[in-house]
Amino acid sequence: MAMSFEWPWQYRFPPFFTLQPNVDTRQKQLAAWCSLVLSFCRLHKQSSMTVMEAQESPLFNNVKLQPHQCPSLNFKPGKLPVESIQVVLEELRKKGNLEWLDKNKSSFLIMWRRPEEWGKLIYQWVSRSGQNNSVFTLYELTNGDDTENEEFHGLDEATLLRALQALQQEHKAEIITVSDGRGVKFF
Amino acid sequence: MHRRGVGAGAIAKKKLAEAKYKERGTVLAEDQLAQMSKQLDMFKSNLEEFASKHKQEIRKNPEFRVQFQDMCATIGVDPLASGKGFWSEMLGVGDFYYELGVQIIEVCLALKHRNGGLITLEELRQQVLKGRGKFAQDVSQDDLLRAIKKLKALGSGFGIIPVGGTYLIQSVPAELNMDHTVVLQLAEKNGYVTVSDIKASLKWETERARQVLEHLLKEGLAWLDLQAPGEAHYWLPALFTDLYSQEITAEEAREALP
Repeated sequence: MAMSFEWPWQYRFPPFFTLQPNVDTRQKQLAAWCSLVLSFCRLHKQSSMTVMEAQESPLFNNVKLQPHQCPSLNFKPGKLPVESIQVVLEELRKKGNLEWLDKNKSSFLIMWRRPEEWGKLIYQWVSRSGQNNSVFTLYELTNGDDTENEEFHGLDEATLLRALQALQQEHKAEIITVSDGRGVKFF
Repeated sequence: MHRRGVGAGAIAKKKLAEAKYKERGTVLAEDQLAQMSKQLDMFKSNLEEFASKHKQEIRKNPEFRVQFQDMCATIGVDPLASGKGFWSEMLGVGDFYYELGVQIIEVCLALKHRNGGLITLEELRQQVLKGRGKFAQDVSQDDLLRAIKKLKALGSGFGIIPVGGTYLIQSVPAELNMDHTVVLQLAEKNGYVTVSDIKASLKWETERARQVLEHLLKEGLAWLDLQAPGEAHYWLPALFTDLYSQEITAEEAREALP
């Protein structure tokens, strides 16, 4: 299921799968991992994942780096160990691109754009089209004909909600209940 | 005070002989100088004629440039010696290497995030060529080396490290001593090196090998691989051939701007 995803050079570089001891190098490494996770999830339109899925995903496993037999090794080459995966996920959380969905940290929401950034795009569209003080259902926003050409068209509900919550904090929107679910009013 | 055989007459004769000798010496020197000067003038005008005929060739053809440089070296002329003057104005040779130097610096700045400031000559050449665009003249490894030597002379912190038949270009003044350089040369073969490799090839003690590898990690020139069979492998991005011709990302290009 690799699709036409272009792996960055680091993905083929064996040490990429070892958490680097040197602080500066580790920073570069983590930045590259974060970038890779976000692009991968964006392309595959994946907005949530479990840690188990992540461990088995090609994202953290470069099978080409893994020889067919390596019985004596503690971990396989080209496979980011789960402790290191946790470090990457924590980094994404700190940057605002990831949110844990449960207390056990077994599954997470992954947002290639931060909720505030989505909120901004949505609000810009609302203003541009002169629709302040209008009410929308969540469905209309992400699946309506009007928003077909917008970047947030097709956005998953979890991320959308967080984007609207961000706007709500800025008093630019209010999430309300409508007849068959939830909606939002923009100011 | 009297000495045998030395009298006023002898002294005078000696003085006269000295004077005559001096005069003759002067005449000789002047002659020689005049001759040499004439020869140099001839060389110079031949070279000027040659240069004007082949100016285009010099800009377009890397092999031709090498031969031209060799010829200049034979007669003790350095076409890159001064920014202004006959060579750069007549031929644009100075401009050519100056521009190349700037491009080299740009590529090294953009990539040092990846490779810690160490790059093979061939990768540098490929990246520079890409930056020059489709219609630019070809640039050879020799051209790059000359431009880099010029940069070195200007005190830009560039270093040239011979490894396995080619060169690594160092663009960040990391402190690399002989031990480090020798390990780099060892790593060139496979793109990585281990403590065992070093002990086997260089006959060093474990501690000395470890210190060098630690230093390379510290300078950002090497990454640690704990998943390799047997023992830790130390990989150098600069030697990672998969990296060749990899696009410089927008982020990296931004790093290159002052």
